[in-house]
Amino acid sequence: MLEQQLLNALTLGSVYALFALGFTLVFGVLAVINLSHGAVFMVGSYAALALVTRLEAPLWAAMLGAMLVSGTLGLLVDMLILKPLRARNAPHLIPMIATIGVGIMLTSTAQGLFGAEILRFPDGILPAGEFVVGDVHVRALEIAIVAIAFVLMAVLFAVLKRTQLGRALRAIAESPKAAWLLGINVERLFHITSFAAAALGGIAGVLIGLNFNAITPQMGQPILHKGIAAIILGGMGDIRGALFGGLFLGFAEVISKAYLSSQMGDAVAFGLLFLILLVRPSGLFGRKLERKA
Amino acid sequence: MQLMSKTLVVCGALACAGLVHAADIKIGVAEALTGGAAQYGVTIRNGFQLAADEINAKGGINGNKIQLVIEDEQGKKEEGINVFKKLIFQDKVLMIFGPTLSNSMFAAGPVANAAKVVVFGTSNTANGITDIGPYVFRNSVMESDVLPVTVAAATKQYKLQKVAVIYGNDDAFTKSGYDVFKKVLEEQKLPVTTTETYVKGDVDFKAQLTKIKASAPDAVICSCLAEEAANIILQARGLGIKAPFIGGNGFNSPKLFEISKLAGDGTFVGSPWANTNPAPVNKAFVAEYQKKYNAEPNQFAAQAYDALYIAAAALKDVKLSGDLNADREALKNALPKVAINGVTGPFKFRPAKTKDGKPGGWDADQKPFIYVVQGGKFALHDAK
Amino acid sequence: MMDWLPGNFSDFWSTYSTLVFSVGVHALLALSIWLTLSCGLLSLANAAFMGIGAYVSALLTLHLEWSFGTVLLAGGIAPAVVALIIGAPVLRLSGVYLAMATLAFGEVVRITVLNLEITGGPEGLNGIPLATEGWHIALLLALTVYGLARLRRSKVGRAFEAIKEDEVAARLMGVDVDRYKLLAFVLGGFIAGIAGALNAHFTFFISPREYGFENAVDILTMAVLGGTSGLVGPMLGASILTLLPELLRSLHDFRSLVNGAILVLVVLFLPKGIWEPRRIRNWLNRNKGKPA
Repeated sequence: MLEQQLLNALTLGSVYALFALGFTLVFGVLAVINLSHGAVFMVGSYAALALVTRLEAPLWAAMLGAMLVSGTLGLLVDMLILKPLRARNAPHLIPMIATIGVGIMLTSTAQGLFGAEILRFPDGILPAGEFVVGDVHVRALEIAIVAIAFVLMAVLFAVLKRTQLGRALRAIAESPKAAWLLGINVERLFHITSFAAAALGGIAGVLIGLNFNAITPQMGQPILHKGIAAIILGGMGDIRGALFGGLFLGFAEVISKAYLSSQMGDAVAFGLLFLILLVRPSGLFGRKLERKA
Repeated sequence: MQLMSKTLVVCGALACAGLVHAADIKIGVAEALTGGAAQYGVTIRNGFQLAADEINAKGGINGNKIQLVIEDEQGKKEEGINVFKKLIFQDKVLMIFGPTLSNSMFAAGPVANAAKVVVFGTSNTANGITDIGPYVFRNSVMESDVLPVTVAAATKQYKLQKVAVIYGNDDAFTKSGYDVFKKVLEEQKLPVTTTETYVKGDVDFKAQLTKIKASAPDAVICSCLAEEAANIILQARGLGIKAPFIGGNGFNSPKLFEISKLAGDGTFVGSPWANTNPAPVNKAFVAEYQKKYNAEPNQFAAQAYDALYIAAAALKDVKLSGDLNADREALKNALPKVAINGVTGPFKFRPAKTKDGKPGGWDADQKPFIYVVQGGKFALHDAK
Repeated sequence: MMDWLPGNFSDFWSTYSTLVFSVGVHALLALSIWLTLSCGLLSLANAAFMGIGAYVSALLTLHLEWSFGTVLLAGGIAPAVVALIIGAPVLRLSGVYLAMATLAFGEVVRITVLNLEITGGPEGLNGIPLATEGWHIALLLALTVYGLARLRRSKVGRAFEAIKEDEVAARLMGVDVDRYKLLAFVLGGFIAGIAGALNAHFTFFISPREYGFENAVDILTMAVLGGTSGLVGPMLGASILTLLPELLRSLHDFRSLVNGAILVLVVLFLPKGIWEPRRIRNWLNRNKGKPA
């Protein structure tokens, strides 16, 4: 049973991590808590579904398409809403509230276009294989999800650590003003970040949509809560922290359900979050340095 | 003044056309059309619209057309109260159908009851709904009427020794379903291996199911909504759980078993309605609904559809006087006498037993069907 | 010919009284979060405090049949006590971390209520008698506004202001920062609890899902949308966000879309909130300057 539970935790945790990555990226670079990230996640799911059912695209193309759609959406939100707010030096809560409005708009648009009921990917689109080792059951899909999540995260790390772009982004995360003085095109990087973060959110949506095969306009809300918990656990704006926080949350949730009581799953997750913040006020990986936005 | 003269002109025109007695019967429909509960609210509205269109196409009730005043209550309690008040005091409807969730009914029901307006729930299964007062009616069958029969039938069929239970613990519907299951299992002396919970919005049930698997039950009892049930069944099979499922009202969705395919075979479901019920009224309903909305109806649509026919049957015996308060009272007195044969089978009301002995409302008196899922479809269980 | 007027008005009041009540309760909630914001604290625990107030008061009414006045008071004191207990450790956090810790606290409260027997779990408490009347809400709102206005101009208000501007400087100037923060937190909890108690006694029913994450964010949105520079802003924001969905009712399916769009547009074009005295003064002065 333990092996199976650990595996369950790994799949759950890697999806949380993938979702949290985009979330934390936006916070780290743009200093905005983007509460529309859950809705973007939902849009990714619907985009892939529409591509598969209406255009009969193969799954890989649908995934890329979903990333493109949600990425573009993230870019639009940045250009049309967050950029003007930056230009006006709005107090730091204001962009967050704008993203709440965006989330409401996206959710109701999705309901208008696709209806309120649960939609699912058609048969035959999902990889059907299954492996049984002893008492442990693994679906090929779950392996694919963990693999895709980790590959994407590795790519993101590599970009941030090794490339010019990554160095520039890290410079902005330290101080946008200093980065600007260094001649970095801050606005362009904000756009890139918004696109990438939303694309990551979108693909997380597709993966969840595929794994659990239930797509609704409201599906972004629960994961948004978990995403918030994950990035705080790890330390806001920290990429490693998001990965760690997501996985940690996945394991904490599954293990507490398995060995305490399934009623405790969420209570443990949030109680832990509360306690960790009291002991380490900026999360497990958080830096002392607080950016005043 | 201007308004009055306009009314006079319209009256005059109608009188000329010989329609002086024909008036619209305004009926309020308050359902969750947006938000999380919209997936039920929208199909409920569809059920009402279909029934209203049919009744009106056949000339209405005693020559009076039904006019539905449809409002969105968003599945929120304050919205429920606001919508009820708007329907009662502003639109001056004769009666109200809805709201979608039991929670909203607990908040909005007292408003209607205090205003002496019939409120008729089609999807509120929680205990205590009809304790609100004598103006509260429902045709939604309570879990406590359905589950004992279902569990008994499954126990006999599968010779169950022990069962596992899973339910949603933050939802009034699934939690009250669980409470009934718990009582039934105690009464029928069926041991429980483990009881697992999840919360609304969960899509991953593997942690709980892995635990259930380790406890090796003969069947899994599931007090869940249809959307969660599909994932629970599929993930259970994915983990290698072979035991059959037993579900309550929430399982009664053809879509559920379409999705879960053969994974759901052998599931016992007790419910007032199934799409494969061969009665002619039901066949016609399923076909018409499909034609009108290009989608399969579900239990919620079926109960709404029946509810309007129940109200129509009562209204047939009511002489509308034009005095709104008197008409509302007359309708309240006429409803308990209705007995119809609808898409959910033979239906009549029974007076609710309230906890504190006050006069309560009216519950559904209906025999549930027991279905077994076979080949992804509901088949009537043949109790030998 | 005149007798239809009062009739019409009583229909209007029957239809919209709950809505007006909600505006008042939301205004109290927005003021409760304004209080912590005015001390530089972004606390999102107010929905949970409201819930504690609602449950405590409803349980006292249902089981012990206390009088409404004492019930209201208890509904305010209970969350204030909780705030006092968690305040000391939590208020060491700053910025978003405080926001998230309070949000997590709110979730823990919600899940606790969900799993307790006495609170009715997910089914909530129903059959709460109608006790709240319009004048209760009006009076308590007026008292709160008066109290907060006095507070703003007192030594305490100036200390809040100093902490909000620069915590370190305030500390150096000898302001007991921790105590003032705790005071704002506890008072905010008290007001939110009263709002919860009022709300529970005109909606007949309470359940855990009314005091969750979305509600916490809603309360914050009301205050920020209206503008947090004074007391008028939060009340204005609360009124707008409560009335807007009703006004948009005729839009049917597009309602929440337009609701979201309005939120975005207001934030975009009035980033300091709708009620910003300086902007309004400037605008008035500019108009005055123009020849009539």
